[in-house]
Amino acid sequence: MDSISDRACIVGIGHTEYSRDSGRSELKLACEAIGAAIADAGLTPADIDGITKYTMDNNDPIDIARNLGMPELRFFAELNYGGGGGPVGTIQLAAMAVATGQAKAVVAFRAMNERSGRGTPRFGQAATAPGAAGAASYLSPYGLFSPAQMVALAARRHMHLYGTESRHFGEIAVTCRHHANMNPDAMMHGRPMSLADHEASRMIADPLRLLDCCLETDGGAAVVVTRADVARDLRHPRVFISGAGLGAGHWNHRFMVRDIDAPDSESTVIARHVFRDAGITHADIDVLFIYDHFTPLVLMAIEDFGFCKRGEGKDFVSNGRLRWPDGELPMNTSGGNLSEGYMHGMQNVIEAVRQLRGEARCQVKDARHAFVSAGNGVPTSAMILRNEK
Amino acid sequence: MTALAFPYPIPEYGTEPYWQACNEERLVMQRCAACDRFRWTPAPLCTFCAHDGYDWAPLSGEGRVHTWTVITHAVHPAAVARVPYVVVEVELAAQANLRMISNLIDCDPQAIRFDAAVALAFTQHPDGQKLPVFRLA
Repeated sequence: MDSISDRACIVGIGHTEYSRDSGRSELKLACEAIGAAIADAGLTPADIDGITKYTMDNNDPIDIARNLGMPELRFFAELNYGGGGGPVGTIQLAAMAVATGQAKAVVAFRAMNERSGRGTPRFGQAATAPGAAGAASYLSPYGLFSPAQMVALAARRHMHLYGTESRHFGEIAVTCRHHANMNPDAMMHGRPMSLADHEASRMIADPLRLLDCCLETDGGAAVVVTRADVARDLRHPRVFISGAGLGAGHWNHRFMVRDIDAPDSESTVIARHVFRDAGITHADIDVLFIYDHFTPLVLMAIEDFGFCKRGEGKDFVSNGRLRWPDGELPMNTSGGNLSEGYMHGMQNVIEAVRQLRGEARCQVKDARHAFVSAGNGVPTSAMILRNEK
Repeated sequence: MTALAFPYPIPEYGTEPYWQACNEERLVMQRCAACDRFRWTPAPLCTFCAHDGYDWAPLSGEGRVHTWTVITHAVHPAAVARVPYVVVEVELAAQANLRMISNLIDCDPQAIRFDAAVALAFTQHPDGQKLPVFRLA
């Protein structure tokens, strides 16, 4: 047995409301989201003996354990690279822990006041320290600070190499907004967006427009992972982690300044392993969750995870392919980072589980396999989930 | 009271020669003693062959525009007075795929083209450190 394929399941999901100002501490948000996920699984906090977290999450596992009443933690670990390692990598860690007997039930979570800045500094704003060290010392003195600005460099290069246009990025933004408008819990519910709206939105870092960028959000989101045989006796239909992986390479340096001319990327590294572990092909994926921090990176992820070839992303995302209910491969069906709420990708994991339980608002008929990625442009992670249909 | 400025670079062990040369208005990079290749940013080992030896070799700064962005939304207090400004990734003529991040100064953003030739210049940060930047050649 050389993989964790199908040995662990996501058995509980939970989240707070997503807002611009939560009005409570990040620890309170974490406890609410984790408590909801544990209750959803039909477990109690005393059943949880492991916690995995994003390295950059401010919450400390022992604070969570003390507040929620987890008497003993046998496993705690964290994964770096923000939205790259976080939303899937923490779940992979949890799956490895339960599959190898290091823990029985592990929570993976993200909770932050990233929009209000009450705890976590806003990612769209630069730190104002007078000096910059390390990798930043070669970027910040030139006024290159935010992920959006770095992604703009790669986006323009992609447009040059492959003829991609802003409207193709717009297709992704409009798709996520379309789904958010069917999700009353989404921050952008009730605020429709057209391609014309996208093209009219102001430039942030040319060619990136405001509507190419994800939201900033206060909130919390969590999942519970157990071994597959334990999951059989819990409340919901089982959602198996059929394959999961991390990926990085020499092109991941200088933050999110990408070398998109390189033949490989963090996404191609993962794609080589995760489909093999799950024993399926791209054609078997029924619903897609691509981490949507910035629309150009979504398009590049679709290409590099192998859903189409490099340069074909512009056609792949067009003509409503990603849009529920008529598109052949609906993507980010609750609105994603772009329009539901920026829970650093964990909201996409939760929606993937809803799809495979058959309880999504934009339910993909007979969904059996979901592909869920974390954020590319940095070392990243991705997984394939399946149900028992 | 100093004017609002972008952060100045903080040199580290092993990177001081890069910044010191900048202050003398020279662009230098580490050239591997084994495979003869340049690397950017400075790194303790060769990022191509992992060799431990190098010398700091001068570059002319001749290069071409690999990609760029015109930043119009200020995310730093010092950016408010600077927008729009151009961040460029330059591919240096010295070696294939040798690229560095910098600013393209004194240019009309509409005039920038892929593969346009650029020439090295230096600006001075208010704290005194000089920074390598580029102009359209």
